[in-house]
Amino acid sequence: MKKIFALLLLGWLPLAGYAEQQTSYTVRATEIKQQPFSDAETVGMLLEKARVKVIQRQGGWVMIGSNQGDGWVKMLNLRSSSAKRGDSGLQSLFNLGRSGSSGITVATGVRGLSEADLQNAKPNPAELAKMQNYAADKNQAEKFARDGKLNAQALDFIPANGN
Amino acid sequence: MYKLKLVFSGITLLLSGSALAFELDWQKALQVGGQTLQKVQQANRPVTEPQEIELGHGIAANLLGASPLLDNPRAQVYVNQVGRWLSLQTDRPDLPWQFGVLQSTDLNAFATPGGTIFITKGLLQRLTNESELAGVLAHEMVHVLSKHHLAALQKTARMNIASDLAGEVINDKGNPLLDKAVQAGTEVYARGLDKNDEFEADRKGIVIATRAGYDPYGLPAVLQMLDAANAQDSSLALMFKTHPAPRDRLNLLDKIMANNFDGYLVPDQTDKRYKSELAELK
Repeated sequence: MKKIFALLLLGWLPLAGYAEQQTSYTVRATEIKQQPFSDAETVGMLLEKARVKVIQRQGGWVMIGSNQGDGWVKMLNLRSSSAKRGDSGLQSLFNLGRSGSSGITVATGVRGLSEADLQNAKPNPAELAKMQNYAADKNQAEKFARDGKLNAQALDFIPANGN
Repeated sequence: MYKLKLVFSGITLLLSGSALAFELDWQKALQVGGQTLQKVQQANRPVTEPQEIELGHGIAANLLGASPLLDNPRAQVYVNQVGRWLSLQTDRPDLPWQFGVLQSTDLNAFATPGGTIFITKGLLQRLTNESELAGVLAHEMVHVLSKHHLAALQKTARMNIASDLAGEVINDKGNPLLDKAVQAGTEVYARGLDKNDEFEADRKGIVIATRAGYDPYGLPAVLQMLDAANAQDSSLALMFKTHPAPRDRLNLLDKIMANNFDGYLVPDQTDKRYKSELAELK
């Protein structure tokens, strides 16, 4: 029983927080840094396909816990290990626990955006008019940026090949 | 018609048998050909900006028919401010940009031609800060900037919007040609864009967000969240059907971002307003 509870808990956590507490693996050998900077001290080394626990993110870095030590690694060196959770059996156990029936549990709420919904949609011009009332003009946008201490900076697009 | 005239000039040539007649008729044939060419060029000319906006508003009204706006003016205004600030970092800052949070609990976002952008409440609830929101909006804005939906519509609906709408009074709501284009345009959202359009939107979206002072890793973080999400979840069905797998998108960003985006600031000073403006959603 305790075991089942733990499994349910494992199934629940990634759904509740997604990015938090998820298990990931390295796609290449990766340095563990003491702080989230490239030139911070290296405190450990992860081989390719090493499993880590993601704790939090800061910019392009995530704080991880691993058998090789804890610290910061580059986010894009990681991929989630939980992507196949849906067909692992764990998920159906979880569904059973939550809805009392097997199979896919559909979250409740307003949908309206399935393929068929889009194909059969009838225009709602009143909502469009309402939407236009919320639009911001340039001055409002610039003030919003100043309030948030966001500074525009020049940067060119990167070619598709990355060079 | 062009063919008929050519046949006709051929007959003239046979009958006259003179070099002069050939010369004259050939000129005539070329003239006719030239007119045809002009017509072809006219048909392929780009949709004008007013047409683009009108078409986009029509599609937006349809999307709003599928899912109305979330009744939360504070969140709507906030998302508009983030989006409008981003728009000032693009080469089309003067479009009538507008942003809407849809009531739907699905995880998705949409762009319609001319600058109308939607994000669902479901997706907004999964984001954790303003840079992630900026990353999603900037991705959608690239579809507008690069006119991806117009291209998809021209290609797949076997229709030519420019020539169909040319000369039409586009503000006339009863225009059947516009209605047809809007209907075909809405279907593009059920089918999805070309994969490469999505990759382009990721690649350029991170740059637009960075130009606006946001964390370049906002969009990659959202893709990590989607990659970790349960692909069987029905709230992700349309988004997963109409986009490349999050993992493929991450792999592409991994390749192009490399070390190019180190050293940019991560604006945590916007966290407070993000939480307060969207407080009722969380």
